[in-house]
Amino acid sequence: MDIQFESSLQAILAKALGDVAQATNPSELEQLRVHYLGKKGELTQQLKQIGSLPPEQRPLFGDRVNQVKAELAGALNERKIALDSLALEASIARESIDVSLAGRGKATGGIHPVTRTMQRIEDIFVAMGFGVAEGPEIEDDFHNFEALNIPAEHPARAMHDTFYVDSSHIKKTANNAHESHLLRTHTSPVQARFMLDSKPPINIIAPGRVYRCDSDVTHTPMFHQVEGLMVDEGISFADLKGVLTSFLQQFFEADLSIRLRPSYFPFTEPSAEVDISCVFCTKGCRICKHTGWIEVLGSGMVHPEVFRHVGIDSEKYTGFAFGLGVERLTMLRYGVDDLRLFFDNDLGFLEQLQ
Amino acid sequence: MIVSEHWLRDWISTDLSATQIAERLTHAGLEVDGVANLPGKVENLVIGQVKSVAKHPDADRLNLTQVDVGDQVLEIVCGAANVREGMLVAVAMIGAKLPNGLKIKKAKVRGVESMGMLCSASELGLEDDSSGILDLDEDATLGGRVDEYLGLDDALIDIDLTPNRGDCLSVRGIARELRVLVDGDYHPLEVGEQLSTLSDTIEIEIAESSRCPKYLARVVKGVDVGASTPLWMRERLRRSGLRPISPVVDITNYVMLEMGQPMHAFDLGKLNDKIVVRRAKAGETINLLDGSEATLDDDTLVIADAKAPVAIAGVMGGQDSAIDDSSTNIVFESAHFTRKSAAGTARKYGLHTDSSHRFERGVDPQLPREAIERATELLLEICGGEAGPVCDSSTHDKIANKVVEVRFERLKQLLGMPLEKAEVTGILKRVSEQVEEIESGWRVTAPSYRFDVEYEADLVEEVARVKGYDNIPTTIPKIAPRSKVASESSVSLRKLRQSLVARDFFESISYSFVDPSDLMPFGDEEPVKVSNPLADNLSVMRTSLLPGLIKTAQFNLNRQHDRIRIFELGATYHKADDGFTEVQRIAGLVTGPLQPVQWGLDNARSVDFFDLKGDLEALLDLTGSRQGFAFQRAEFDGLHPGQSANVIGIDNGSVIGRIARLHPAVEKQYDLSTGTFVFELDVKSAFSARLPEFKGISKFPESKRDLSVVVDKTVVVAELMTAVRKAVGKQLVDLTLFDVYQGQGVGEGKQSLSIKLTLRERERTLTDEESQQCVAKALNVLETRFGAALR
Repeated sequence: MDIQFESSLQAILAKALGDVAQATNPSELEQLRVHYLGKKGELTQQLKQIGSLPPEQRPLFGDRVNQVKAELAGALNERKIALDSLALEASIARESIDVSLAGRGKATGGIHPVTRTMQRIEDIFVAMGFGVAEGPEIEDDFHNFEALNIPAEHPARAMHDTFYVDSSHIKKTANNAHESHLLRTHTSPVQARFMLDSKPPINIIAPGRVYRCDSDVTHTPMFHQVEGLMVDEGISFADLKGVLTSFLQQFFEADLSIRLRPSYFPFTEPSAEVDISCVFCTKGCRICKHTGWIEVLGSGMVHPEVFRHVGIDSEKYTGFAFGLGVERLTMLRYGVDDLRLFFDNDLGFLEQLQ
Repeated sequence: MIVSEHWLRDWISTDLSATQIAERLTHAGLEVDGVANLPGKVENLVIGQVKSVAKHPDADRLNLTQVDVGDQVLEIVCGAANVREGMLVAVAMIGAKLPNGLKIKKAKVRGVESMGMLCSASELGLEDDSSGILDLDEDATLGGRVDEYLGLDDALIDIDLTPNRGDCLSVRGIARELRVLVDGDYHPLEVGEQLSTLSDTIEIEIAESSRCPKYLARVVKGVDVGASTPLWMRERLRRSGLRPISPVVDITNYVMLEMGQPMHAFDLGKLNDKIVVRRAKAGETINLLDGSEATLDDDTLVIADAKAPVAIAGVMGGQDSAIDDSSTNIVFESAHFTRKSAAGTARKYGLHTDSSHRFERGVDPQLPREAIERATELLLEICGGEAGPVCDSSTHDKIANKVVEVRFERLKQLLGMPLEKAEVTGILKRVSEQVEEIESGWRVTAPSYRFDVEYEADLVEEVARVKGYDNIPTTIPKIAPRSKVASESSVSLRKLRQSLVARDFFESISYSFVDPSDLMPFGDEEPVKVSNPLADNLSVMRTSLLPGLIKTAQFNLNRQHDRIRIFELGATYHKADDGFTEVQRIAGLVTGPLQPVQWGLDNARSVDFFDLKGDLEALLDLTGSRQGFAFQRAEFDGLHPGQSANVIGIDNGSVIGRIARLHPAVEKQYDLSTGTFVFELDVKSAFSARLPEFKGISKFPESKRDLSVVVDKTVVVAELMTAVRKAVGKQLVDLTLFDVYQGQGVGEGKQSLSIKLTLRERERTLTDEESQQCVAKALNVLETRFGAALR
């Protein structure tokens, strides 16, 4: 091959490779590509001189030019990758942020702690197979008292300081002439209604608002209860103990023990107050009044008079009932020390118990 | 009921300490609220007698006394006005440490050395406040220990009795109960018949024998009402929580505490002829001992004389027949009023007395005779006098005791535990003296004082109680589960709450009763009234959740929370023809900045109507059919007339709720921020849910076309959108309004609306031409129906 051509190709390639190595950005590279490899580029121009060569040298020369073009294209490509990578690194460096800055947007709200506790109580009992029943808050005397073995002027009514509501708008009939309406003092009337409507086996809880005419540091005129009822053949006091132990252990997520003490409710016999072993201490504290026990709910075996009122055969069926104060359990669970906070709805309070 | 440990031990001897007794009672259902110890032993505190009293040479108000303490005579300076020669007193000698913490040292008082101190009741820890030094009774032994004489190591057991245990409202009752629970010797009080030395009687006429089956009375004459109640009795009354008053009253109270029988005493001289137990005549009045006047109704049982009522039976005596300082002849009453008769009487007259408390819970009908003998015995001892015979007008000499059977199998089944027959027999025999074993179990005659033993279950409880609830096993019942997963046909309340919580709302819970004035801004529905509200501001049942939210917002604004986003889920209460209805609602309130203060956002923008509407739409989206609801401009009381809408369920066109800004006047009234927005929805009608349904995904491309038109400001966008949807038809798969502009460039009274049409044909690619036709249809309806001009 002609030495002169060869040295000219070498010179162009050397210059071109030098230029590529010097290029600092993609557009310079593009310019170089056009300058050397474009239609009018230096190497392309070289190819045009092919006509001046003897025919036997032409293929050789063509191959040689293409070799040089390929080498240069490779160098351009390599340089481009290198430049891209540098550019990426630079932009990543620029895009670095302070990840400790707060995330943007809204905060999250929260359900009321009483609701939270009600939902937990429901979840535990539902997992144990209980259904959830509801009933009216404005009740009549029959369902709130009579059906539950609390006849008029029973001293137990003093334990239920009752709010009555004006029912003068109701048309009087022979059936309702003496009926008074009240704000239910417990959710037990839901049980009475349920038993009137359904046959055993019965296993329900009744959550809801209840009202008592009382307001001081430890009483609010409205609060929440969850009552439970289980009626079937052969249900025993031992079953009551079993169900409540299971519930309370799940609720407090503690391997606590429970203690039953005899008590009195007109609608149950035998009746029991239920204490749990203190979940806050082992040696006695303010919350358990240094007794190691905390009273949490009332319970008992359904009184035969209640069964009679709702038309369930008390010879065939037995059952237990219990009632617990939602606010009380909430206070114990989350350490709230003032009942009245629940109904102030201070956002600071709600945020803490989010 | 507070019972003194010492007094209790007079009735029953047991090795148990007061704390152990308390624990046993608690475990048996007589919950002890607390055991309060008296000071206990006090050394160098002795009984002394004042030998002489002389004025202190340098202090007018002080006396120098010579006090004999048995083995020596001490000179003691005393400032009490009631000190006198011969008085028996409690002497704190040098070295004594008094219950109030005072240490007695040798001290000079105004230059005279005092060898101790004469003590008042309060200094001995007996009373909170007392004037003068304690005057001991004649039976105090010179030089004896004061702590023993006064029983300073006594403990007071405070028992919170349940209403079924009226039989335990006396020392005897508690002792009797303890006898059932623990081993110990029971010492019943022997009350002999008091000899009558007079023949005076009083005529008793019982007109209501079913309510008062027993009425005993006794005349005692020549009574010295000026005598003083002995210290031991005063102390026992005081330790039981009663204030000593005068000997006759103290004696009746004492007998009541001791035995459980409420008694009363009349001044014989103030009674006209006889005692009549009858119903009051409607409108009759009586001046009661507490100074009030009661107007009686004809269901009230009274004790009357020949002319007028002298007492409300079993509740309170009358002023006009009361013992006073000049009384000498008295009549004791010891009667049995039935529980049913007593029930509710006291409350009806706003009274609650120790007597009514007991009769309502049931007093042993066998008690009246024993009690009147005991009271007479004490009266003659303390006040002297002579007694007539007991006048007894009982119509039922024997009130039958209830007989209750308990079956062994039932007992075991109900308690869920194995039991030995002999053990049960033993327990029942502690409860009742009359227990008969029968084939199925036992037949028990309930003691006359146990009103709470009536059913088989009551005896089951007795057995369980005495055996101890702790001994009952723990089992898990086998019962078919009733719990079900909630239906998908409605949105669960939990989902509603979660949705709002995720959108930065806090749940609040407010009282169901509100101030009627807080409901007033929101309409004229007559609310359900509470007949006996705690206060005027809690006197009607809410007909809307808004007042509660507004109050909560106000409360929080006052506590520096300026950004408020709250909701409540609960009932509202309404009158219905045949009763009441309760409607479950969910309501929300927002005010203040849209976003919490933070970096990188244009802060400071306050929430507006559409922010809350977005929250509300998100809530409605839970139903799975956003298009199922429409917002229609509306006006409501209390809400901004230009920013209020009804939320309509498209299916049946019914109003399911509303969203609005509060009326500026209401915002001002409650000191709320300008721009407080609320919504309130009926849960049941708003949140029935649609099951999602898969309709296939089109493989063909969609084409998007934007249109900007100018229309009058009065054009209702929702109507315009509906019209476009309808005009274009099913090729329009989505229509979005993406800009609303009013102001420069669009002309007065005009607005520019920009909408985006998303077009697609399900089974093929839409041609350009078809897309153009869709746009043309949209434009056509915009121009012809809404007078729109293309921008």
